[in-house]
Amino acid sequence: MSYKAVIIGGSAGSFQVITKILANIPAGFDIPIFLCLHRLKHVRTGFEEALSIKSTLPIIEPYDKQHIRPGKIYLAPANYHMYMELGNTFALSTEPPVNHSRPSIDLSFFSAAYTYKNKLVGIILSGANKDGALGLKQVKLAGGTAIVQDPNECQVKTMPTAAMAATDVDYIFTTDQIISFLKKI
Amino acid sequence: MLSKEEISLFINVVKKVSTYDFSDYSERSFARRIDKILSDNKMEMSALITKVKSNPEFLERVVKDITVNTTELFRDPATWQALRFRVLNKFENQSVINIWHAGCSTGQEVYSMLILLNEMGLFEKANVFATDLNSDVLSIAKKGEYKYRFNIDYLDNFDKVINENPFNYEDQVSVAYSKYFQIDQTRDLLKMNDFLVNKPLFRKQDLINDGNIFYTKFDLILCRNVLIYFNHELQTRIFEMFHQNLFAKGYLVLGAHESMLGPVASKYVRKGLFYVKK
Ligand SMILES: C[S@@+](CC[C@H](N)C(=O)[O-])C[C@H]1O[C@@H](n2cnc3c(N)ncnc32)[C@H](O)[C@@H]1O
Repeated sequence: MSYKAVIIGGSAGSFQVITKILANIPAGFDIPIFLCLHRLKHVRTGFEEALSIKSTLPIIEPYDKQHIRPGKIYLAPANYHMYMELGNTFALSTEPPVNHSRPSIDLSFFSAAYTYKNKLVGIILSGANKDGALGLKQVKLAGGTAIVQDPNECQVKTMPTAAMAATDVDYIFTTDQIISFLKKI
Repeated sequence: MLSKEEISLFINVVKKVSTYDFSDYSERSFARRIDKILSDNKMEMSALITKVKSNPEFLERVVKDITVNTTELFRDPATWQALRFRVLNKFENQSVINIWHAGCSTGQEVYSMLILLNEMGLFEKANVFATDLNSDVLSIAKKGEYKYRFNIDYLDNFDKVINENPFNYEDQVSVAYSKYFQIDQTRDLLKMNDFLVNKPLFRKQDLINDGNIFYTKFDLILCRNVLIYFNHELQTRIFEMFHQNLFAKGYLVLGAHESMLGPVASKYVRKGLFYVKK
């Protein structure tokens, strides 16, 4: 396998998509998946549990400096920015929201791109803002693979559309195509 | 992206011209902060270094920008609920309770604590000390005056912590915000009431150089979202320092997604969100 990590950003309309993806990750999937999702203000807790119900792999909201392990799914905790650092550790920060978002998808994608370079898959799903566009661009610039959810399938297409405007994405995929792509890597 | 050499050059210059020592801050997060400062100021590293050397006020501003100063009223309500029902209640029979907020920034957490103590009838017994590296944030903390709109979300947190009991949903009260602060929407101000503002002792203190600057030990030390910006070795040193300055069975409270790693952890017993001195 050539990839070392997958990072997924999503916002409004992405919850069902994520749930479906997580339910279909093959057992034995042996690289980490990072999720950076915007939450509704009042859904700060319980999100991890909700995602866990159908997921085939464990979902973890990491602690600062926790080690990144293969085959785990990591969810950016509410109210923190999540960075993936060289040396396979997380760093969390309480820096102010970026474009009204904390966690910021851009910041997570920047750090993942820096750390994993061409061994990274970045995926932007449905969402109502432009967070993640610059992040996905950075993934691409670092040699990684850039994917967006097909805007025609998205509940809210602003986020993938903004990402497509910011960078030449490698694939425009439906949820099912994203799943089969992940099954093959 | 800045090179390691550039970063350590900067750190060494700052060390030479001031007491600030960023050598053991988390390397990558420090680099990101400097990157941001350079791009916000449209500056090159060499210019930053020159200016930091010659202009002490500018250096103070840079230090403030390097450190992350965000804070909220009752951030992470679950932590405050646990403080209320699992920690502070243990001190009810003591005649004095000593509390240290280390890295208090603009003080919202200090006021959260004072409000909670008052609701629990522990206000008079408490000595509340609060410190930060940065004098600008401390002067805001001492005033207890904040932007209302910025804090509006946190009124929900106030309700969760002060008006609800997560262990007994029937146990509900309705304490008015005005008991503790006044909201002036036209001027966009939230101002803590005087009896709160006059209570804590705010002092400038550097966790790295100064240690405990108060002549007492503590029942409770809160150091939340401060040590995440430090590397593991420095974190360990600070955990040791806190250990020496807690009373036996004293509590250390970290941020919601922080933990204590390595051998120093064996000096504490972990109880949920809290670390208790052995
Ligand atoms: C993110 S704020 C935390 C505020 C509050 N405890 C909270 O969690 O809401 C971090 C604070 O740590 C302070 N700080 C950073 N380095 C420090 C040091 N060496 N000594 C004391 N305070 C420091 C910064 O000035 C900043 O105000």
